[in-house]
Amino acid sequence: MKVDVRTKLLIVAILSLFALIYQDLVVLAGLFLLSIAILLAFRVPLRILGNMKYMLFFYLGLILMQSFFVHSGKPLLRWGDLYLLTTDGVFYGATIFFRFSILALSGLLLVTCPGGDLVLALVKMKVPGEIILMIQIGIRFLPVLKDELQNTLAAIQLRGVDLKKVYKRKVIKVYVSLFSPIIYMIYKKAEKLSILLELRGFRKYEKRTYYRDISFSKFDYFLIGLIIIISSLIIIGAERYR
Amino acid sequence: MSLISLDQVSYTYYGRKEPAVSSVSLQIFKGEKIAITGLNGSGKSTLAKLMLGLLKPQKGQVYLHNCPIEKYPLPEIGRKLGYVSQRPYQMLFNTTVYKEIAFGLKWKGKTRTDTYRLTREYLEYFDLWHLKDELPYNLSEGQKQLVVISAVLVLEPEFLILDEPTKSLDKKRKKHLQSILYNIWSRGTGIILISHDRAFIKDFQGRRVHMVRGEVDCDES
Ligand SMILES: Nc1ncnc2c1ncn2[C@@H]1O[C@H](COP(=O)(O)OP(=O)(O)OP(=O)(O)O)[C@@H](O)[C@H]1O
Ligand SMILES: [Mg+2]
Repeated sequence: MKVDVRTKLLIVAILSLFALIYQDLVVLAGLFLLSIAILLAFRVPLRILGNMKYMLFFYLGLILMQSFFVHSGKPLLRWGDLYLLTTDGVFYGATIFFRFSILALSGLLLVTCPGGDLVLALVKMKVPGEIILMIQIGIRFLPVLKDELQNTLAAIQLRGVDLKKVYKRKVIKVYVSLFSPIIYMIYKKAEKLSILLELRGFRKYEKRTYYRDISFSKFDYFLIGLIIIISSLIIIGAERYR
Repeated sequence: MSLISLDQVSYTYYGRKEPAVSSVSLQIFKGEKIAITGLNGSGKSTLAKLMLGLLKPQKGQVYLHNCPIEKYPLPEIGRKLGYVSQRPYQMLFNTTVYKEIAFGLKWKGKTRTDTYRLTREYLEYFDLWHLKDELPYNLSEGQKQLVVISAVLVLEPEFLILDEPTKSLDKKRKKHLQSILYNIWSRGTGIILISHDRAFIKDFQGRRVHMVRGEVDCDES
């Protein structure tokens, strides 16, 4: 069943909002499971999650940092006067872990819809054209930026430079020398893009028509109803729990 | 013993149904001259990227010096195989043409005078010396192509993989390229030339590998 982008946007918005409002570990854990269930229900290819494994180190680092600086709670691991791991540290770390994960996971929901639909949804929600254009170009440019960086890094290494082996100071030099051409290339691309847009008759204030269209189906109304009910339940449940 | 060998290699791009390269087996020997031809989209560039380890095949295995290519770090592959991609601008990352050529030499540990001499030699060969202080990104397409080719040739790799090197070159530069390739080859460097340029391939001579829809259609010496 095809679900309207706006419905998905609503889900993302609510999940993110909850993730930011609630600080309770149990509620956050529940929301985390809910996000995974939603992703599964929408058949988001979970292969994407593979990319998130690097985030795990980040989380682990956060947990350690929390333990370092939060000295309340029972120490689980200490080294002389240094607290390496405390119960509260783990607790806060886990909270942050769930928060970030919910934000990231709910964002993944939008991966399943074509970029064009997202823009269309914004148009229908009467978001000003300039902002839509900025978002649209942003969406289009991120992959370009990533490719550009990867290609350049590969090109540098193919010229025989082992980034792992050169001295720290020199590595920084290589990266710095990387940035100016990449930013220049992006600037040039953006310039070309703006000329192209004008050549094809794109103007900011004109009323545009769209080849694709999005509309709410009965299923969408049903889903939105469901979203409202579930959200209220979460709010009530979280209040109780407190 | 083959330098590069492919064993039943297949590669499908993410989200594609048809494989770009399918069950290709090839033996490429040291010092060999090979021209790879085929229609647009027949998988020539993909094959080149597989040989360089830039793409990992889903099936089959690529070997370099009889060792699986993924065992080599990219810089080591780069020192053995010189690669000029079909999109030369992707391989330019320095702020001047001079630095672009000198970059690899410097990292190779050449002295300042040697770097200067070699860089000048190559830039003069392709009539680019007067552009030495320009931003590579601002050059014309053909000039960019020549800068990338020079930057790769100057490092003297064991083997060259050139993807459409004549694409935007004029007659004179094509001739220059042809003769420098011949010189390099007679000094023992192998060359893979991917091209649509019939005349250039004819003058290039060497083994012909023709690709059709991702498969090697014929392979003759
Ligand atoms: N980055 C990519 N993502 C998805 N598909 C790709 C990508 N690059 C190439 N392809 C597809 O793989 C197939 C082979 O492409 P490839 O670039 O290897 O062809 P080619 O023989 O080099 O063509 P040309 O003569 O035009 O350079 C094509 O069908 C192409 O559409
Ligand atoms: Mg190609």
